[in-house]
Amino acid sequence: MPDAKRDASSVVVHKKTLCRACRICELVCSATHDGACSAHLSRIHIVADDFGFSFPATICAQCKSADCYGACPRADRALRIDPDTGTRYIDESECDGCGSCAEACPLPRSPIWSKPAGEAAVFFKCDLCRDIEGGPQCVEMCPWDALVHKQRKQR
Amino acid sequence: MSAPTGGWVGRILRVDLTAGDIYSAATAAYLPDYVGGKGIATRIAWDELAPGTGPYSPENLLMFMTGPFSGTLAPTSGKGTVCSVSPRTLPDPWFTYSGMGGNWTPELKYAGFDGIVVRGAADEPLYLCVQDGRAELRPADDLWGKDVFAVQELLKERHGEAAQVICIGPAGEHRVVSATIHHRQKNCAGMAGFGAVMGAKNLKAIVIRGTGAVQIADPAGFVEACKRVHRLVHAGPTETPVRMKMGPTNIPCAHACPFGCATRSHDVALRLRGGKEKRKNISVMCNGEAYEGGWNWYEYPTPAMEEQYAGELRTRAVEGLGKRGGDELQLLIETLGLSGWSYLTLRCWFLACLDHGVGEIEGLELRPEELDFWLELFRMIAYREGLGDLLADGLLPACDRLELPEVVKKTAHWLEPMWGFPSHRDGRACEPQPSPLWIFDMLHWAIDSRDPLASHHQTGYIHCWFPPHYEGGSPLVDRAKLEATFTRVFGDPGILEPGFAHLDAKTRVTKWFDDRAQIKDSLLLCDWVFPRVLNGFDSAQELEAADDYYGDVDAEASMLAPLTGLDITTADLDLAGERIRNLDRALQIRNSGRSREVDATAEWVFEYPEKSDGTRLDRETFDRILDSYYDQRGWDRKTGWPTRVRLEALGLADVADALELLSETGSSGMGDIRPGPEERE
Repeated sequence: MPDAKRDASSVVVHKKTLCRACRICELVCSATHDGACSAHLSRIHIVADDFGFSFPATICAQCKSADCYGACPRADRALRIDPDTGTRYIDESECDGCGSCAEACPLPRSPIWSKPAGEAAVFFKCDLCRDIEGGPQCVEMCPWDALVHKQRKQR
Repeated sequence: MSAPTGGWVGRILRVDLTAGDIYSAATAAYLPDYVGGKGIATRIAWDELAPGTGPYSPENLLMFMTGPFSGTLAPTSGKGTVCSVSPRTLPDPWFTYSGMGGNWTPELKYAGFDGIVVRGAADEPLYLCVQDGRAELRPADDLWGKDVFAVQELLKERHGEAAQVICIGPAGEHRVVSATIHHRQKNCAGMAGFGAVMGAKNLKAIVIRGTGAVQIADPAGFVEACKRVHRLVHAGPTETPVRMKMGPTNIPCAHACPFGCATRSHDVALRLRGGKEKRKNISVMCNGEAYEGGWNWYEYPTPAMEEQYAGELRTRAVEGLGKRGGDELQLLIETLGLSGWSYLTLRCWFLACLDHGVGEIEGLELRPEELDFWLELFRMIAYREGLGDLLADGLLPACDRLELPEVVKKTAHWLEPMWGFPSHRDGRACEPQPSPLWIFDMLHWAIDSRDPLASHHQTGYIHCWFPPHYEGGSPLVDRAKLEATFTRVFGDPGILEPGFAHLDAKTRVTKWFDDRAQIKDSLLLCDWVFPRVLNGFDSAQELEAADDYYGDVDAEASMLAPLTGLDITTADLDLAGERIRNLDRALQIRNSGRSREVDATAEWVFEYPEKSDGTRLDRETFDRILDSYYDQRGWDRKTGWPTRVRLEALGLADVADALELLSETGSSGMGDIRPGPEERE
């Protein structure tokens, strides 16, 4: 079992004053992970206040405390920490949909959401595109340099 | 062709306001032939919109359409299109279209609909609420009379911050022909006066909340194609050939747009509702600069050219209203739900009035240099008071009813020269457009139903690429490489030569741009950005090293095929564009008496010289160009009607039959018209 506190992860950092709310990040995220385009399947959400100058985002902070990891009630953990990279991610095929991880999240707006899966629901969150070549797709496609993939050593 | 497995979400929402009836019908009936957006709307109009239907008739259809790309990663796909009979068009109200950016159109897809078709008129003010496959009409008594920001704020409070709203302001309620359908700020279907159509239907707003998704047939293939096209279009085509990194003040006007081309944002303290002071950001489109000053489109470059070319029609330069004043006026116009273009033409027209001794109209003293005059005038237009009541019907109709010197009336026509729309990209009253580019635009103007934005923005883009021996050309561009690019795409570099040589090649290219414009408005994609005939380069060195300047004219199809799972090629899209244009033409002919004679009324503007190179036209040359263009289109030279051969080649045999009946009996053949689709849910 990896030590959550020790195994820091890299993280995607969003800069709200550079963000222009084009929402390309949401679209590439959902297209890549779910094969469909929708903000409701995206692991990053942009708060697009049309009258604002800055656009805050909700995205997993990959925090060192990993409260979500500790909260997952399954013995074999659906919310996992990658032993090599430290990435906190949900194995959606193992998730029971209890929502303990989302409740445990210390961020003011939880970046762990649920979606229907058959009869039940599963929770999903940013997994730093761990299975995708090229890393976080939102960072690759952001036209404004508002998203940065910060390596674990830089944190 | 097999059924699509991505892109379209499958249903078109039908709302009959007279009967209070709401149902939906399958999009599949229109696929893949009509693509989406303007294509499907034009087919619905052909099937269901009877000749003589006026803009304010309950039988007029008001259609809000998405396309297969709406709500997806395809760059600039946030655009939607609205189609209806417009109260603004001259000489008669006719069917036309208007685009709108923002997040409303994608939200409609997420709510499960490819479009909304509104028919009828409600007795009482209503608004339509669409949420995840369901729709209902609700009373809007408390919204009626409110401005576009108040309505959006109220409905977001009621339906959640994530709800997307379009609405009309007081101008739409009072049927002002320049009334907009408004969304967010600065997003509006603005030019065709559809706000007035919505007002006549007593429909104040449409709220959408959708939590669904747009499916993708081949996600990996689609994402890969999108990434490639995003890189290709990363800088807007309003740019010079070498890309400039946009500053953080550019907020893109549409969902999934990777740049903010001509928009800038101002941080200003704004008085919104009841004197409440809020610090907000206002975005400013390209024409917004004219409010501040320092950019006068409506004059020739030098006084000598003014005198020589425009003569009595010259309009003088004006001081702008400054940053603060310009912002305040733009905000007021927007708040009332009016199109911001009106200021640009009215400003020049009032100055011409003063120059010709008209200092007062209908009791209103003309003070076009002063901000308070404008604030009062636009309020009067929106609420139809005094001179505002006349101008609310359009500048030219107002001139018809006023006693004014002829030259003042002619100046109004000069400023809004064709179909009741302001001059733009014709190279005369508006920006320069050196030969041969204005020839393309002249033809777009001649056959379109409004100012042909979708097709002529591309000509403006090519203008940016013109080599230095053209006025305004770029010193970085190598003419030989540009010619090589045009040879590669169009097979003939001669289209770049000024004047009327290589005429058939020029009209062929014009047709291609126009067909592509129909596709842009159907997919839907931004008309500034597509098609990508030319690339953008990151540096002067990269530009210099390139063999030619080719972009990628297959970009649209390369994204559409993996999105939908259909085997769609560029050739299929070109054909669909031509089909949509021909159907639109047939509709104009059947419903509005469009003909060669009507097209030719656009000619007079081009007898004046182009403002940067002095090239001009005479009637004989115009007829020669129009002949060549009709030949390319397969339209009859004498009548301007599409021929049966061409219509059948486009799969429009039923349209050919209808035109034949019309020509033989004068009957539209719409006696047994069905009011809507038979299959309904």
